[in-house]
Amino acid sequence: MSYFLQLVLSGIVVGSIYALSGLGFVLIYKSSRVLNIAHGQIIAAGAFITYTLTVWGGLPLYLSFFLSMGVTFFLAMSVERIFLRRLIGEPIISVIMVTIGLMSILDGIIYLTPFGGSNFSFPEFFPKTPINLGPVSISWTQLVGVIITFILIGLFSWFFKKSTIGISMRAVSDDQLASMSVGISVPRVFGLAWALAGMSAAAAGGIIGNITGLNFETLHAFGIIVFPVVILGGLDSIVGAVVAGIIMGVIQQFASGYLDGKWGLNGTADVLPYIILLIILLFKPHGLFGTHEIERV
Amino acid sequence: MRSRQFWMVPITVALLTVMFAVAPSQAEVYKMALSLAITGPTSDAGNPYAKGVEDYIRYVNDTKLLGEDTVQCPIRDDQYQTDITKRNFEEFLDDGIVFYLNYSTGSTQALKRDFDEEKIPVIPASMDAGNLVDSTYIFLPIASYSSQCIALAEYITKNHKNGTPQVAMFIHPSAFGRGPVDDVRKAVKAGLKMDIVEVVEHGKDLDNTAMLQRLMSKKVRYVICQTVQSPVATLIKDAQRLGLTAKTFGEDGKLTFVGAHYTGGNDLIELAGSAAEGYFWTTSYALTSEPGKGTDFQMMLAKKYNRDEKTANSHNYTNGMMVAQTAVETMRRVKQKGGKVTREALFKELNAMNGDNAYSPGNTVAPVTYSPSDRAGVDSVQIYSVQKGVFRAVGEPFAPEYVEKIKK
Repeated sequence: MSYFLQLVLSGIVVGSIYALSGLGFVLIYKSSRVLNIAHGQIIAAGAFITYTLTVWGGLPLYLSFFLSMGVTFFLAMSVERIFLRRLIGEPIISVIMVTIGLMSILDGIIYLTPFGGSNFSFPEFFPKTPINLGPVSISWTQLVGVIITFILIGLFSWFFKKSTIGISMRAVSDDQLASMSVGISVPRVFGLAWALAGMSAAAAGGIIGNITGLNFETLHAFGIIVFPVVILGGLDSIVGAVVAGIIMGVIQQFASGYLDGKWGLNGTADVLPYIILLIILLFKPHGLFGTHEIERV
Repeated sequence: MRSRQFWMVPITVALLTVMFAVAPSQAEVYKMALSLAITGPTSDAGNPYAKGVEDYIRYVNDTKLLGEDTVQCPIRDDQYQTDITKRNFEEFLDDGIVFYLNYSTGSTQALKRDFDEEKIPVIPASMDAGNLVDSTYIFLPIASYSSQCIALAEYITKNHKNGTPQVAMFIHPSAFGRGPVDDVRKAVKAGLKMDIVEVVEHGKDLDNTAMLQRLMSKKVRYVICQTVQSPVATLIKDAQRLGLTAKTFGEDGKLTFVGAHYTGGNDLIELAGSAAEGYFWTTSYALTSEPGKGTDFQMMLAKKYNRDEKTANSHNYTNGMMVAQTAVETMRRVKQKGGKVTREALFKELNAMNGDNAYSPGNTVAPVTYSPSDRAGVDSVQIYSVQKGVFRAVGEPFAPEYVEKIKK
């Protein structure tokens, strides 16, 4: 039983981090129907900014963590302002292609820094001894990661449901023309969506970097790894990202814990989530919580 | 008038003869090249590697190690993509290179036929034993990954107490990771007393709890890692969190982690922090944490060309330096024998690098030896383990016995 519980706990931890990493996709898609392919690079940039402020800037890790969220807030907002603002009203595929180009540009910039070709690690900030919850254990880094994830996701959910700007963002997502007709500034909403996505990416980068160490390839890969999570949850649903993240995390742990190494199976943790994703999408093509749009022809 | 013309011819000939005799002989430029991942996957290894090659070649030219002759070695980024490597290689061929340094396992194996067709000697950064199968011109710098993993397996069997050690292999999901698995299995078949309980191909895992507990439930005591540092760092950090890391080699009821060349080095300590303590690692290179003549030279070279401390102490910097040293030494030997530095001459000279002609670059734990039947450079390996945050040598270098046994 303790084995089962440990797998569930590990699955929740991993799933929460997936959810936080996927949140940036959701925030941008929710307001602009655009998929930001460069999201993984922003996750990595957030982690590197946190490291720079902590190790080279001498700031405490927690302060660097929040400051890096601020930096990526403005960074992502600038990216939207410079590269994407002109594409409002253009076909979505054009915008997605721009984000692919953006990915290459960010890659190039990061490769020019020491982070592009070297490994780094955050100073050990949390106690090394794990927290034992009965028969299961969790590290401090993981626990803090999960707490930050749930706080941020809670804040974003509240923001979209209750705040005026959040409601404006949802309105823009539903109908840009109608939103403009009631005085909502669509460009401002897009800029804010990118900025919030940048902020969540920095948080994800900081947490992942604390777990895996700072390796550019590992960090930016999370932009792709979490893609099935946001598809499964429904591209425009924050709750969906959380539920799908946890489902994926738990499935991965169960697959690794119960299937791998038996009957000649190996690597099921990497494959099974995709199989389940395909099955669920067969029945719910918009994901678990995605908006099912009805188009009248 | 005629008599004047008659005298002009022998005078001109005599003058030209004197000029050619007095003028210094034309300095030669030997062209070699390197294509590797300076950006993209594994660039954390590729970066210091490229700097090692670059610095040594600059040193050769600056200190006139080959007299008036110089070595030209352009270095190009291939982003770990075979198609780019192939394009780079073809452009290097157009430039007339006589020696080529390659990088990844995938591109080395994909370009095998090209190397044979061009009859050009190649030293890749990849130490995959598969590089040598069905090829003639590829020379591994040091012991292959297979030899390294077999060496680790032998070290486990020699130091394990109480019965047959239960071992898992934690490998990269690629040709690079899978390469040595069959050879370790062959060694077990040939009599190496250990059980390979499971071979785990890792992904981008954030938490290895399930896998580690599964291995524990199967009584695994040792994990042989054949991958890069980042996944190993996550693995050993999780093991530390779960209290599964052995405090001494082979501690009962715990896991002892051991790994081949690209799993270790200072980057692992950087990534894993205190979890790296007690990690056992093997390579054929000497480390700067165990100073000697070769590492002193390495530090001098890095200082001369303004490299930072991290690069200067990287085993991948050593790695790059050493392949450049081997290539230049081969050129020097051809030149010394009065031959012309051509692909063919270099290939012959490399194959003759054995016995009394073995080459000691100083930064390896044994000399570099090549022959037509042995194209792995350094046959011995050294086991290191992390002690108080640095890699320290454990015992003496040794050549794994089962490498030869499985060939038979």
